[in-house]
Amino acid sequence: MQYFVQLLISGLAIGAIYGLIAMGFAVIYKSTGLVNFAQGEMTMIVAYIAWTVSTTVSGNIFVVSLAAILAAVVLGLVIERVVMRPMLGEPVFATVMVTIGLAVILRSSINFIWDAYPHGLDVGVGRGIVRVGGIGVRTGQIAVITTLLLLLAAIWAFFRYSKTGVAMRAVAADDRTALLMGISATKVHALAWAASSVIAGIGGVFFALSYDLSPAMFQLGLKAFPATILGGLDAVIGSGVGGLLIGLTENLAGGYISSGMKEVAGFAMIIVVLMIRPFGLFGERDIERV
Amino acid sequence: MRTGDYKQTYGELVALVDSPPVWLWSAVLVLALVVAPYVLNAYALSFLIIILITMVGALGLNILTGYTGLISLGHVGFLLTGAYGYAVLVSKYQLPPLVGFLGAGIVPALASLIVGAPSLRLKGLYLAITTLAFSFIINTVILEARWLTNGARGIAVPRPEILGLSFESDAAFTYLCLATAILTLFATLNIRRSRVGRAFVAIRDNDTAARVMGINLHAYKLLAFVTSAFITGIAGALYGIYLSFVNVEGFPFLLSIEALAILIVGGLGSALGAVLGTVLIVLLPEATRLVFSLFSAQMDAMFTTGAQELKSMLYGLVIILFLRFQPRGLVGVWHDLKRTWVNWPLRY
Repeated sequence: MQYFVQLLISGLAIGAIYGLIAMGFAVIYKSTGLVNFAQGEMTMIVAYIAWTVSTTVSGNIFVVSLAAILAAVVLGLVIERVVMRPMLGEPVFATVMVTIGLAVILRSSINFIWDAYPHGLDVGVGRGIVRVGGIGVRTGQIAVITTLLLLLAAIWAFFRYSKTGVAMRAVAADDRTALLMGISATKVHALAWAASSVIAGIGGVFFALSYDLSPAMFQLGLKAFPATILGGLDAVIGSGVGGLLIGLTENLAGGYISSGMKEVAGFAMIIVVLMIRPFGLFGERDIERV
Repeated sequence: MRTGDYKQTYGELVALVDSPPVWLWSAVLVLALVVAPYVLNAYALSFLIIILITMVGALGLNILTGYTGLISLGHVGFLLTGAYGYAVLVSKYQLPPLVGFLGAGIVPALASLIVGAPSLRLKGLYLAITTLAFSFIINTVILEARWLTNGARGIAVPRPEILGLSFESDAAFTYLCLATAILTLFATLNIRRSRVGRAFVAIRDNDTAARVMGINLHAYKLLAFVTSAFITGIAGALYGIYLSFVNVEGFPFLLSIEALAILIVGGLGSALGAVLGTVLIVLLPEATRLVFSLFSAQMDAMFTTGAQELKSMLYGLVIILFLRFQPRGLVGVWHDLKRTWVNWPLRY
């Protein structure tokens, strides 16, 4: 029983990280209709920048998190302006291929800017252990689950009440009508890339806190993919929840079946989801008019 | 004066080549390639072999991505299953190499049926996602199935002997690759000219319209996927023989990206494009290394230490730049050149 609860908690913690990255996927898909194959790589870059700040400037948690968020905003804006905006209006096939190219470039840039060895991100907190009824939980694990829940609430409120949020939903629903209403699609796209980069970057920093940084970290993006498929590619909140579910499944499969299953569980789930509910648990069913 | 390239009958539209000199030049090229193994040194010959093998794989992916317009990010999975299909049949069960090659095609084709049947029912990018998943799952499957695949230890593959001919030497192996590449080229060109190929292209251009014209979308997409996996599997077997050793490490994910880069650089949906793209992409890292080594020895050293990373960066850059500035690829450049040549000094 204790083993089960332990698996459950660590599953939720890693699932929360997947959820954050999955929300990054969903934010971009919702406002631009693109699957961003470079999401995992962006996550990794933000985490590496946070690490550089923590070793060179200051290890203070607030400095590091502020720097990470700023870096993520800049990264998202630069990618949108330099790489994605020139592709506006091109076929989806071409734009998606551009994100794949971008992913490969970012992935290998790690080895040139930083190095190929694993590093631990140490900001003085996150690795301590709190005991709750005989079960040890890391503070970092509690923090990441709380952050995910807070962000979910904040994003729900943002899309529901704020003017910008409504504008983003409008562009997603029908970009031409949105343009006629005076909404700037490029501004919405830039905002989406920045927001997605920040949300996923937070996930990356949390991952670096509890585990280690390494050039293989981009695989987090692959792991988060099933989460966003499960939640629905266009459902931001759903993707966050999907992340928790994928984390749980993966950990339980790893704990009770075999460690090889842990790597595969998420992908196996994608195939099942695509067969039963291709638009995800919370996604909108796509109806096509001819 | 010749004013353009007009097609006046349906026969001309589906002809294999649109002017007779193409046959002549192709024959000259093939002759040059036949002589090549005796002229080139071992280093240059290894590039020729890699180009020919990669061409088979690229032509395989071209059926799926170029003709049918579906993205696969997991074609390295089919290369891998093809190589294992050959290695297990030939090295482990001592079957003749021709059976091995057949197996190298059939095993990935079966795998593609399993992956494709659920994911091709859906529109859009879902195939990219499931094939990506497949290429990771298949690694785990191969590592776990030790009784068949020796797990992480891999299988040694000797150069084959087919119908009494030995392909032991590099020159002979080049001929094997050349023959396979030419066969594949003709096969894909002929698929494109047939009813099936036209259905593929119709699906790529507008799937709703294709469906209205009576094309069974699911069946034809699946057919494209299975054919593509079959051809890629053959390329995998050749690559396995070339490496003389098949294991999971020999087939990194980068190969999937390389294949897509080839198609984009060459020009999507054209067999000529796949050939041109292969030559460019295979030689690109080497050419870049040469250019940089002219500047300084330090750059040269960087290339040897971070070869894999630099390669991926180059591929990524080439993909983005071509999509941005020359979306029709090298084939587009070639067509523009031809038109300028014929019409000069007029614009058109």
